[in-house]
Amino acid sequence: MVRPYAVKGKKKRKKTEERYDKEEEEEEEENHDQELDTVQTKEEEEPDQEEKEPEEEKDGDSVELEGIPLAPSTQKPKDQPGVIFILEKASLEVAKVGKTYQLLNSDDHAHFLMKNNKNPGDYRPDIAHQALLMILDSPLNKAGRLRAVYVRTEKGVLIEVKPVVRLPRTFKRFSGIILQLLQKLSINAAGKREKLLRVIKNPVTQYLPVDSRKIGLSYSSDKLVKMHDYVGTFSNETNLVFVVGAMAHGKIEPDYVDDYIAVSGYPLSAAYCITMICQAMERKWNIL
Amino acid sequence: MAKTSKPGGAKAKPGKKKKKSGPESIAMKVQAPKPNPFETIWSRRKFDILGKKRKGEERRVGLARSRAIEKRKKTLLKEYEQSGKSSVFVDKRIGEHNDDLGDFDKAILRSQRERQLKLNKKSKYNLSDGEEEDFDIPGFGALSERDDFGDEILPDDDDYGGDDAADIEKDSAGLKQNIMEMGSGGDENKHKTKKEVMEEIISKSKIFKAQKAKDKEENEHLMEELDKNFASLVQSKALSALTEPGKMNALKSLVKKNIPNDQVKKDDFSVSQKLDQEKPDLYDKMVKEMALEMRARPSDRTKTLEEIAQEERERLERLEEERQKRMLATDGFSDEEDEDGEKPSAQRPRAISGDDLGDSFLLDEEPRTKRGWVDEILEKRDAEDNDNEEGDSSEESESSENGSDEGGSDEDSDAREENPSIKDWEQSDDDNLETDVDGEEEEDKENEDDDDANEKVMKPRDSSKAQEILAIKTSERHKDSLGSRKKNADEKRPSTRLDIPYLIEAPKTLEEFCALLDNCSNSDILLIINRIRAGNAIKLAAENRKKMQVFYGVLLQYFAVMANKSPLNIELLDLLVKPLMEMSVEIPYFAAICARQRILRTRIQFCETIKNPENSCWPSSKTLFLLRLWSLIFPCSDFRHAVMTPAILLMSEYLMRCPIVSGRDIAIGSFLCSMLLSVAKLSKKFCPEAIGFLCMLLTAAKDEKLMSNQNTQYYYLMELKELKPLLCLRGRVNKIDPLNLFTIMDLPEDSSFFDSDNFRTSVLMTVVETLQGYVNIYEGLSSFPEIFLPFLELLLEVAQQESIVGPLQDKINDVAQLIKTKVHECHMSRQPLQMRKQKPVAIKMLTPKFEESFVKGRDYDLDRERAERRKLKKLLKEESKGAIRELRKDNYFLHEVKAREKALAEEERTEKYHKVKAFLEEQQHAFKSGQLGRGRKRRR
Repeated sequence: MVRPYAVKGKKKRKKTEERYDKEEEEEEEENHDQELDTVQTKEEEEPDQEEKEPEEEKDGDSVELEGIPLAPSTQKPKDQPGVIFILEKASLEVAKVGKTYQLLNSDDHAHFLMKNNKNPGDYRPDIAHQALLMILDSPLNKAGRLRAVYVRTEKGVLIEVKPVVRLPRTFKRFSGIILQLLQKLSINAAGKREKLLRVIKNPVTQYLPVDSRKIGLSYSSDKLVKMHDYVGTFSNETNLVFVVGAMAHGKIEPDYVDDYIAVSGYPLSAAYCITMICQAMERKWNIL
Repeated sequence: MAKTSKPGGAKAKPGKKKKKSGPESIAMKVQAPKPNPFETIWSRRKFDILGKKRKGEERRVGLARSRAIEKRKKTLLKEYEQSGKSSVFVDKRIGEHNDDLGDFDKAILRSQRERQLKLNKKSKYNLSDGEEEDFDIPGFGALSERDDFGDEILPDDDDYGGDDAADIEKDSAGLKQNIMEMGSGGDENKHKTKKEVMEEIISKSKIFKAQKAKDKEENEHLMEELDKNFASLVQSKALSALTEPGKMNALKSLVKKNIPNDQVKKDDFSVSQKLDQEKPDLYDKMVKEMALEMRARPSDRTKTLEEIAQEERERLERLEEERQKRMLATDGFSDEEDEDGEKPSAQRPRAISGDDLGDSFLLDEEPRTKRGWVDEILEKRDAEDNDNEEGDSSEESESSENGSDEGGSDEDSDAREENPSIKDWEQSDDDNLETDVDGEEEEDKENEDDDDANEKVMKPRDSSKAQEILAIKTSERHKDSLGSRKKNADEKRPSTRLDIPYLIEAPKTLEEFCALLDNCSNSDILLIINRIRAGNAIKLAAENRKKMQVFYGVLLQYFAVMANKSPLNIELLDLLVKPLMEMSVEIPYFAAICARQRILRTRIQFCETIKNPENSCWPSSKTLFLLRLWSLIFPCSDFRHAVMTPAILLMSEYLMRCPIVSGRDIAIGSFLCSMLLSVAKLSKKFCPEAIGFLCMLLTAAKDEKLMSNQNTQYYYLMELKELKPLLCLRGRVNKIDPLNLFTIMDLPEDSSFFDSDNFRTSVLMTVVETLQGYVNIYEGLSSFPEIFLPFLELLLEVAQQESIVGPLQDKINDVAQLIKTKVHECHMSRQPLQMRKQKPVAIKMLTPKFEESFVKGRDYDLDRERAERRKLKKLLKEESKGAIRELRKDNYFLHEVKAREKALAEEERTEKYHKVKAFLEEQQHAFKSGQLGRGRKRRR
């Protein structure tokens, strides 16, 4: 699998090696499981005198309970269908305020925006920030079922966000990262060459899986559904794409959406809407 | 030459620069020549960035291209044209290359230059023709704005008017003036005559002197005023309040002298000075005194422990001396037994050790808090006296037994022998002791504190234990009556006061100590011990440590001896506990060694005794007392402790290995169980021996017919197999008396008391209560049901017996209920065995790398050198690309030019060719046609 005489510093080789390592680990794990199984069968013959440990101890120390076998590990998340989120109309706009470039937000740049005949209420990058945090912090993502997040700004700039990115928690740092992204067009991981955020070409549909189902969420839609039931109607193999608006006012109307739904009778914030989706998906896929 | 006017490439550049500056100028320029449709296509921006200046918009590709071509025409084309030529025409006319200037401006510049040339230094001495000078400058009218010198001339004119008057008259034009000034202006301030300078200096010195005199006068005036004020102050009473009366007089006299001085001063300054020189010493002295007087004193510093100990010792020494004096003065106090009523105990100063907590804590409070149960017992003593009639009946036999009790007396003698051996360890250990102890002391102090806390927790312990353990002690009462020692008699005289020396050397051996304490009451013994300790406090001297160690050994031995005496002096033992504990804190290392050695020896003895099964190998009262003492001194809750761990092991071993022969053994065993309970209470250590022992006792309480050891899992742990139903009740007993251990200890093995139902009930009661204690402390164990479920059955069986009624039955049922609920709880909290779940592994998150304040184009590389290098490389690349592009365009341009030239030449050539050909053709034609006439005709 690996070339015998590897050339240093080639990306391709790196990737293959990583994959190889992973497989090896899996194999090892499986072997380990088998060993444990045999141990367990031996022990089952003996009368079970031992006290069973309380729950916390068991969780804390796996060493103590070597006799108890591991439950079979679940399927690899890579093979399972995933979710894609598209945040439409995010107001991520860079402007030159004074001498520096800044990400426009309604708090800090109200005066500047008024001077330029813009409505400060429309410049709300915090919505996108919250929404992204909600997506990336969800157990859905931790379980590896999130495929990608795409953010399309008001100006039409399309940004791809990798699921592995750990976004800054504070808004200030978030604006810093978006500012750099919009000027440099990509953000690398610290200490790695992997691109975590990058600006990509429109339209977004070219990046979506072929068999995916695109669902737009809109308060204005007549189709008011219970999220969990709605999600349950799809087969387990379909990839789902959720299109959520990250703007303060207005509604999304991209042409690629198959179905518009409303998840609540009330207009919801983007972040809450996303949590609802995530929870529904977690319930569907039994992610705890 | 015919080729004129066009400037060289280099000269054209500044003009170009100017052109680019403003957008308006561009617009003008562009519109003027020709509206090229291609030039109107501008570059398009992708994003409209708010707030960004529209600089990029001005770049127009088409326009730039045409301009570049123009530029090449001016430069490259010229060079190309010149390339074949050997000479160059250079146009040096002024202003010719500047496209902005009009003809008129050019003319002005040229005339200015001409005038400058005339007026400069070289031409200064040229004789003017006169005609040329009359350049009609007024004819120019107003000077053009572009005259660079116009502004400067006018202001300069006024300043230097005087010097240059001659020149000015010639011409009104500013130019000339300016130049003339340059030549001759500027040495105005140079020349000051010497005279003037000297005059200035003199005047300055005069002013300085006057100023000095004035200052002096003012000073004098101020001093006068001050003196006056001071005089008035002295006259008033304000100062007298502050100063001493003696000084006041001096002050007044001083002032009186000063006042005439002042008058004299007015008359003559020198005289006053003289007087002042006579008197200032008095005044100065006073001032100094005043300054010294008000100073604050430093307070005493905080005393160290050593100093406190030293003071204590000194105080005792003083008291001792006084006592000696009193003794001598009032004759007959040589006998120690004499009464000394003058010092009531409340007033008597008590020795305070270095780390004492305070007066109120020690004497009155401490024993009470520490051993509340003992006091309780002592109070009860009288009441219980009546109950223990059986004990009384067998007094005689007890005493005889005590006398013949080999184990006890052996131990005593051992204890005496042990004394030297203790010294031996002490000697050998001294070296490391000295070094170690300081550190350990502090540690153990903490431990001790903990222990105290433990004690306090334990103190409010259920009264059952108190009753059980040393209910037990009451027997001592009846021994009093037959006590062979007169000590007891002494005890009964509380008013007895011994004249105790204040300074007592620490006794080296038990004999000395016993001699010292002979015939002393309990409180006096304590007093003596405290004085010994205060007099030989470790803080005082280095050798005192050794003394105190020896004394500690002696005291411990004394404690052991006292504990083994057949009529137990419980009060004294109680009192001894306190100093022993305090001293253990002071010399923890030694205390631990003593305890360990004693435990070791006890264990060896025990191993010896257990070998022959006839002997009762249960611990003697001395051992019990010592174990109890150590459990008080040392922290029981430590996981591992140098003393307590072996002590606990020893207790457990007793419980495990000693065969139960008589009721007395049962009592001692249950006492050990309860002691283990108290020890394990905090640390919740599991003592299977105690549990097993309790289980066995309960089994013994069952009926004989049920005596089948089917269910006791502890059974195989016990070495003794033959269990008789020792505790099985025969009849009903309604009244339950708390047992007294000491009574029981003194009873013979075959005493009828042990067969009585009364005893059995009491024992059962204590057993059940101890069991309850264990149930309470072990409830946290996860194996609780497995430990205590056997008890549940046992208890229920015992409770069912018809002989058990009343409070005992209730108690048993209570405990059974308690066990049942606890077991239920424990069972409920258990979870079924299940597969170990793998924790889901979260995907690995990566932190993005970004700058706090990103500026586009800046290199954020931390390695400055690399960043610099990269920047330069980038610059180089940019430049080289630009150069390549320019060169390519140049080539393209040249190629075009050449092609055009070539085309032109070709055209010319073909035209010529055609012309010639046409001529030849005509000629040929003419020749062929035979008429050469045309030429002829023409000629014609």
